Amino acid sequence: MNAAVTGALAPAATAASGICEHCGDALPRATDRFCCDGCAAASAWIREAGLDDYYRLRDAPAGRVSPEIGEAHFDLWDRPEVHAEHVVSRDGRLETTLLTDGMRCAACAWLIDRALHREAGVASVSANAVTGRVRVAWDPAQTRLSHIVQRMAALGYAPSLATGTAAEDARRRTRNRDLLRLGIAGLGAMQAMMLAEALYLDFNASMPLATRDFFRWITLLVSTPVVFYAGWPFIFGAWREWRLRRLGMDTLVAGSTLLAWGASVVETVRGGPHVWYDAAVMFVFLLLGARMLEQRARRLASAQVDTLARARPAFALRERADGSIENVPTHALVPGDIIGVSVGAVVPADGVLMADALVEESLLTGESAPVAREAGQPVYAGSSARHQPLRMRVTETGAATRLSELARLVEHAQAMRPALAETGERIAHRFVAALLVTAVVVYLGWRWYAPERALEVTLALLVISCPCALALAVPAALATAQGQLSRLGVLTLTDRALDRLAAATDIVFDKTGTLTMGRPSLVRTDLADGITPARALELAGALEHASGHPLAAAFPGPRGSMTASDLIRVPGQGVAGRVDGQPVRIGQAPFAANRADDGAIWLGDGHHALARFEVHDAARPDAKAAVQSLDALGLTVRMASGDAEGPVDALARALAIPSPASRRSPEAKLAMVRALQTGGRVVAMVGDGLNDAPVLGGADVSIAMGRGAPLAQRAADLVLQGDSLVRIPQAIEVARRTRTVIRQNLAWALAYNVVAIPLAAAGLVTPWLAALGMAASSLLVVGNALRLSRPVRAPGVAA
Amino acid sequence: MSILLMLVPISLVLLGVAVWAFVWAVRRGQFDDLDTPSLDILCDDPREAPLPPARDSDAD
Repeated sequence: MNAAVTGALAPAATAASGICEHCGDALPRATDRFCCDGCAAASAWIREAGLDDYYRLRDAPAGRVSPEIGEAHFDLWDRPEVHAEHVVSRDGRLETTLLTDGMRCAACAWLIDRALHREAGVASVSANAVTGRVRVAWDPAQTRLSHIVQRMAALGYAPSLATGTAAEDARRRTRNRDLLRLGIAGLGAMQAMMLAEALYLDFNASMPLATRDFFRWITLLVSTPVVFYAGWPFIFGAWREWRLRRLGMDTLVAGSTLLAWGASVVETVRGGPHVWYDAAVMFVFLLLGARMLEQRARRLASAQVDTLARARPAFALRERADGSIENVPTHALVPGDIIGVSVGAVVPADGVLMADALVEESLLTGESAPVAREAGQPVYAGSSARHQPLRMRVTETGAATRLSELARLVEHAQAMRPALAETGERIAHRFVAALLVTAVVVYLGWRWYAPERALEVTLALLVISCPCALALAVPAALATAQGQLSRLGVLTLTDRALDRLAAATDIVFDKTGTLTMGRPSLVRTDLADGITPARALELAGALEHASGHPLAAAFPGPRGSMTASDLIRVPGQGVAGRVDGQPVRIGQAPFAANRADDGAIWLGDGHHALARFEVHDAARPDAKAAVQSLDALGLTVRMASGDAEGPVDALARALAIPSPASRRSPEAKLAMVRALQTGGRVVAMVGDGLNDAPVLGGADVSIAMGRGAPLAQRAADLVLQGDSLVRIPQAIEVARRTRTVIRQNLAWALAYNVVAIPLAAAGLVTPWLAALGMAASSLLVVGNALRLSRPVRAPGVAA
Repeated sequence: MSILLMLVPISLVLLGVAVWAFVWAVRRGQFDDLDTPSLDILCDDPREAPLPPARDSDAD
């Protein structure tokens, strides 16, 4: 009965806080439980279906369910064009991959999985919250794709088609092959190590030669697939590096593995004293593991942004020459086509508006309030139509749209290697070259001095210096740090992020949406005589929402036929317009009501006041703790905001931030950062909006808020997934520890080689001692890196 | 030591079984979704008679 009790208590708790129970958006009326009919319907279905555990399991609120979903035309999804490109048939079932941008945590994936399983005819569902993908298979005799899609949309997960079955299959095959490689390397390495152990423990050489050789041949059998199948990426990489005439990490890895394996085969065949199969397999397994962890962490980091950018509508409404409308797949559009976009639908291509319209560009700017656009202004793929349908002329389609550009930039960021890994690679390059020269010199020297020991000594030299430790030093630390950061909810997007974060000396915060919740709420309303509170809010709401001002969120959206016309925006002062024929103004006191400015928002006709609103944007609850921890870490905390002096100073006082900068344009913020940089400071910038994109790009390292604009996130090095600012000092702590560990690892690996190589060259090290030394050295480096996975606590804050 | 002649092949067979099982699991998509199964255990067992999903239009 526990679930029932919490289920009954939860609504009371959330309703009081003024946010929607389902999506967490601000409520239009404080007495409501849901912000809109869509959310109410979704929540009712979830509870009726007995899936209300979802509310208990989730750790992020759901996406807002658009009330227009009921009228949307999902029949299109059953059309043959869609099936031809996106649906495959397997064993009499149809299967497709859908993308959705609403999945924010594992509970969402769980909900989709359960909800779709309840639809008759759905055979299997697999939802992955990390990649935003849902794979679903259904029996075409019992259900249709449109039913499945409708169920997802009704729950708030608006689906779109993935890139096509071929690309999705390739993606899955790559992933599965990587997993197989790692698994086979692991299983094979364990077996080979077990057999090698038996050989090592034979201290007095008391094992009969036949048994020893039997063991060796078995080890050869087990380790060969590990070296050549699991280790193929390294061998292939080495071959590629060889063709480019450069020595890199892959050359080092493949070279050492093949050498250890090859020398062991030679020894096995001729019955020599030692084999090193264990060195070869362990090397492959550990490096493959480190590489996969590193890749996974980076994929996770960009999957969210990536999904957003790839999602685009499957269909468009194209106008024929005679003015009638036809429904065509998006890829059939060509520049010059005239298309219509219905209310709530997503714009399928870049184009030029043919009539004034309200457009929501949250995908591109993060601003969820719709923006007014006039005829002739551009509109971008990925935006959506609000309040009235759009009519537009297509200018760019497919890969040429700004949305695709965004996707390409994200993919590019994904392909970059961390700067620290590059450093490791540079060191390895010189190390390999020097080592090969040394090996040749030592071999020739021993040929001349004692020819019978030449091969043994050279092998010992190569094995003991077998640069496991050097090769593992950086990737092991990076992989652990990435894992630790993603557990904290901090995603690293660029190669320089960790490096620069560790070096940061100053941190600059934006105010609205970063230090504050970015969700303004009305705290006080004063009315003039002759106006009801409802009427005042309606007028204010109509003006604010039509103007697309961020403060609009504090007022209820326009209802029914009430819309504002003749809008004039006066930057920094307010908006003037007509509502129901009545001239009204909203904004600062001198502008709206001809009074002295008092920091509040006034509604009036320019001469007389109708109402006065006090709007408050509360600071994030943990902002003060975050600032204190950053202080404790020795960073100088600064604040730069576009807001007026009053609220900025008040917030700065509350958070104990010295000398805040108010009324700063994005350019002025950038100039401030540049000035600090000229003074030799390393600046970290934290921001959320599109207007922060330039300064995020200009700072040494930048952190974007996860709820902010995708474009701002693209300019950022790190993205904060949750709303918790304390994650920032924790991330800095992790970055600093990573830097320390990498330095320790490199120092250890080099010091070990400086000691071991001369000893080996002098013939003082037997090959088995060499293999033991190498293994111990690698384990030490990996163990040191694993220290990074200890939980971090924000410094300077009592837990 | 002739017991080794039996034990070592047995270990190889077991290795083969383990590899086969792993390949089977990967191919069958057992590793596709690593997030939701961990949540299942936190939920109560399904109720006696699950309520039918609300469907206004096609409740036939």
